[in-house]
Amino acid sequence: MKTSDLLARGLGAGALAGLAGGLISGAALSRVGALPPTASLVRADAAVAGFVVHVLIAVALGAGFGLLVWYQRSGAGETLFWGLTYGALWWFLGPLTLMSLLLLGFLAWDVHSAQEALPSLIGYLLYGGVTGLALALLRRDRGETAPGSLWGVVGRGALVGLVAAWLLGILLDAQGQLHAFSTVMVGPARSAAWIATLLIGVAAGAGYALLYPRPPEGTGPGLVRGTVYGFFWWIIGPLTVLPLASAGKLAWSLEAARAGFPALPAFLLFGAALAVGYQWLDGLVRVLFSDLVAAVDREGLGTEGLRAIGRGALAGLVGGTLFTLVMIQIGALGAFARLIGSASSLAGLVVQVVIADLIGVSYGLLFRRQSYDVGSALGWGLSYGFFWWILGPLTLQPLFLGTAPRWTAEVAAGLFPSLIGHLAFGAGLGVVFHLLEARHNPWWVPRSRMEAARVTRRKEQVLTSAPALWTLVVAIALVLPIILGM
Amino acid sequence: MSPSLRRDLIAGASAGLIGGLTFTWAMQAQGLRAAAGLAGLSSTGTGVALEILAAILIGAGYGAIFRYQPFAYAATISSGVLYGLLWWIAGPLTLAPLLLGRGPGWSLQEADAALPSLVGHVLFGAITGLSFYVLVSLYRRARPGAEVVAEPPAAPTRRVVILGGGFGGVSTAQRLEQLFARDPHLEIALVSQSNYLLFTPMLAEVASSGLEAQHISAPVRAACPHTRFVRAEVEGVDTATQVVRVRASPSAPVETLPYDHLVLALGAVPNFYGLPGLEERAFTLKTLDDATRLRNHAIALLERADVERSADERRRMLTFVVAGGGFAGTEMIAELLDLVHGVLRYYPNIPAHEPRFVLVHSGERILPEISAPLADYALRKLRTRGIEFMLNTRVAGATVDAVLVGDGGRIETHTLVWTAGNQPHPLLRTLPCERNRAGAVVADTTLRVVGLDNVWAAGDCAQIPDVNNEGRPCPPTAQHALRQGQVVAGNVAAALRGQPLWEFRYRTIGTLVALGHRTAVAELRGWKFSGLLAWFMWRTVYLSKLPGLEKKVRVALDWTIDLFFPRDIVLTSHAATPTLAQTIGARSEVASAGATGPGAPAAADVRLEGGA
Repeated sequence: MKTSDLLARGLGAGALAGLAGGLISGAALSRVGALPPTASLVRADAAVAGFVVHVLIAVALGAGFGLLVWYQRSGAGETLFWGLTYGALWWFLGPLTLMSLLLLGFLAWDVHSAQEALPSLIGYLLYGGVTGLALALLRRDRGETAPGSLWGVVGRGALVGLVAAWLLGILLDAQGQLHAFSTVMVGPARSAAWIATLLIGVAAGAGYALLYPRPPEGTGPGLVRGTVYGFFWWIIGPLTVLPLASAGKLAWSLEAARAGFPALPAFLLFGAALAVGYQWLDGLVRVLFSDLVAAVDREGLGTEGLRAIGRGALAGLVGGTLFTLVMIQIGALGAFARLIGSASSLAGLVVQVVIADLIGVSYGLLFRRQSYDVGSALGWGLSYGFFWWILGPLTLQPLFLGTAPRWTAEVAAGLFPSLIGHLAFGAGLGVVFHLLEARHNPWWVPRSRMEAARVTRRKEQVLTSAPALWTLVVAIALVLPIILGM
Repeated sequence: MSPSLRRDLIAGASAGLIGGLTFTWAMQAQGLRAAAGLAGLSSTGTGVALEILAAILIGAGYGAIFRYQPFAYAATISSGVLYGLLWWIAGPLTLAPLLLGRGPGWSLQEADAALPSLVGHVLFGAITGLSFYVLVSLYRRARPGAEVVAEPPAAPTRRVVILGGGFGGVSTAQRLEQLFARDPHLEIALVSQSNYLLFTPMLAEVASSGLEAQHISAPVRAACPHTRFVRAEVEGVDTATQVVRVRASPSAPVETLPYDHLVLALGAVPNFYGLPGLEERAFTLKTLDDATRLRNHAIALLERADVERSADERRRMLTFVVAGGGFAGTEMIAELLDLVHGVLRYYPNIPAHEPRFVLVHSGERILPEISAPLADYALRKLRTRGIEFMLNTRVAGATVDAVLVGDGGRIETHTLVWTAGNQPHPLLRTLPCERNRAGAVVADTTLRVVGLDNVWAAGDCAQIPDVNNEGRPCPPTAQHALRQGQVVAGNVAAALRGQPLWEFRYRTIGTLVALGHRTAVAELRGWKFSGLLAWFMWRTVYLSKLPGLEKKVRVALDWTIDLFFPRDIVLTSHAATPTLAQTIGARSEVASAGATGPGAPAAADVRLEGGA
């Protein structure tokens, strides 16, 4: 097939997918009354006109999306995340830039405008997600068929989702924050919250299994993917479907999103646990029940483990030094010292370096042989750094200090400097680890045909959703605290 | 710089210019001074110029980091946005305040104030990424074949051949692998008879059934995954044409391996000094085969002795003689005692006082490698346990049922373990170079073999001057071989790259000798340890030196199991049982290769395989 034909098909499929995304997001946006600005683009005020304009734009953007990801991998798990990132990018380009420029004559790049445009950010994310999923359905013929029975896959996913939700529920319940997971369905009854939490777990788990019947990468990338998947569920769960079901309206306004913020870290951690759990369960099933012995091609978890640990520890030290510089700047070493019941900054420094090193070791084990150039090293490192911002200062640190983690937007915004520190840490960690790997054992230089195939698979992660994940993680990490926290 | 990198740098810089112009225009449009504070230093014009310059540099950085990948335009735009966000942190939040003499602006308030710039950076990143992809695509379309990607060569252009798969050879290969990190231009080949690296310090424990044989050896293919491993016997080396001739089996044809650099790490083989009967009847302790054969032999003797009626024959069966009081001999006799007494409960007809253990040593005292007090301690300890020592005594020969010692002495036995002499590998004698009296090739301090071009040596097969110990050669220990291998690798790399060579400098860290049954002696940099503490050190040190995590775990498990269960007495080979005369005649192939050596006087300097 000629390139132009391919592109035409991409345009067509993308436009159709964009139609689906536009219809759903348009319906949602009209509910929160966020359509008029779109409508005024054609100087019309009627809601119907606004809706039509929105859908038309959505179709055009969808066509662009179809073109953009045509050469990317076609699975639903890939296009979903590309769609989310595409939506987020268009929030910056659309409401904040082009529309504002066309309608008002200036750029709406300040915090106030961004806060006002929050509903449309959520709308764009929803649009992107739906468009991505629809495109995957339209392109299904090009996708790989999932081996094994569909029910087995869904069942495994649901099981892992149930367990992940249950674990997180225990953690939340102990802190008296079980509602965080299903915020908007606040009923006074604890049992209702439990049921909602577990149901969400099952649904999200089954959905994840459908997206990734066969998780392709290692545990580390799975963790990052799961984190973003959790974010997607935060959008469609506490902000969209749950309030719609319980109160008949969406929680997309600034206030409502602020109120729903505590559910975000819960969903991010849940997503990470879900992805890792599913990855491991799938691996276990393959080890125990698969007869395709020749296709397993594993060298065993222990092989090269010591070296990965050593490189991770060294990289963790370097990243930790970057982090320390940030922490000294903002005078936050005290919090680390308090973890061991001390008040001196030196103790804080030591604790901090030890923690950084442990995280570095875990990075070495989870992400070895995943980054093949500095760009992907930055991507994985930053994403991992963000994950630890959620898990560390927002969650574990208060737990160790004996207080309940408070996942409010204000607390998260107050930890913004620490977020920058974690991102710097992650970037340093990823890059140094990659350089160490490249120096002594560049895994992407193959020795045999079999290994060459594996290397190609991994190197083609630019064709998976990995780059979209990296960008989305950093964008969300930087933008949400600013918008919601101010 | 490769053509594709240059292309990506230039395209990145151009894309950065496009992105930067957009960014600056947008910031100016909303009346924001965009170079976030930098413009405050000077006039707006200068600020804009600075900003555009920064954008060009940042764009070049983008090209260098993310590079062009065909069809990956979605990823290119996405990574552009990521890169833009990173520069928002690095620029307006960090560098700009620093340049203005304030601390970095990482607080929420400052991030908040810089939000316009964040949106600008997202825009900048997206446009830069997209432009980069378009520019490179246009360039590639306009000039197809302009950048010829350097294909990896079909065959390597340089070859390093390593002979020997012991500590010296494997450490050379490993270091070379690191130094050349999968460089397709270089081929590293390692030729060895056995496909594993044997951890010799634990060999005695295999012979005494304390450890599983496979657990103390790591496959060369796993230890050096990027080295071409050739399991073959070396037939000869032609140093004039730089070719090694090898043969995979006696019936296989001879193959040739050309080399640019040759590393000799062949190690040593036992030396019987032509003493009668030894070559046929003595056990040696060089290979896994040797160790398992000795173990099977000892257990088979216990089985026979348990049913033997004749007291004389039983005494012969239960007498174990080790020749040589160095590391290997001392550890072996102690381990044999542990083995026999550990399993004696299974043999009700053998009284505990009957087994006899004799160590024959030609010197004044055992363990000449360590200081006198520790050697005395070892002697005392082992004597208390019931081991007999015949010092100042030499083995003169062996018959079917006895070992001849000194001037006419005779020990009735079926077991003689020979650790009293080693000699460098016989192949070395065929090389046209300088050799010492024992037959080892002479190397200089950079480990180059004297008199040969592009030939290097490491380990027991070479006489290497000890820089720290004027006039004396390095001792033949594993810890030296290991370091020599690393230096050889470094020097081969230096020679290939035209860099200056390194000298081999190493001071022995220490010596550790296990004496069986939770005792050992250790001497580390002059500090002396003995007893349980030293034994613990022995196990810790050697466990950490064992190659590969897998083997470490296995040996640690073996040792743990050993704490709770008696030693295993399963006979793994029936070859050892039929008749004792045959058994005693068994010997290793390596031993036979070494036995053709010149008959050295019994007083020859006894070189012992030692612990690291």
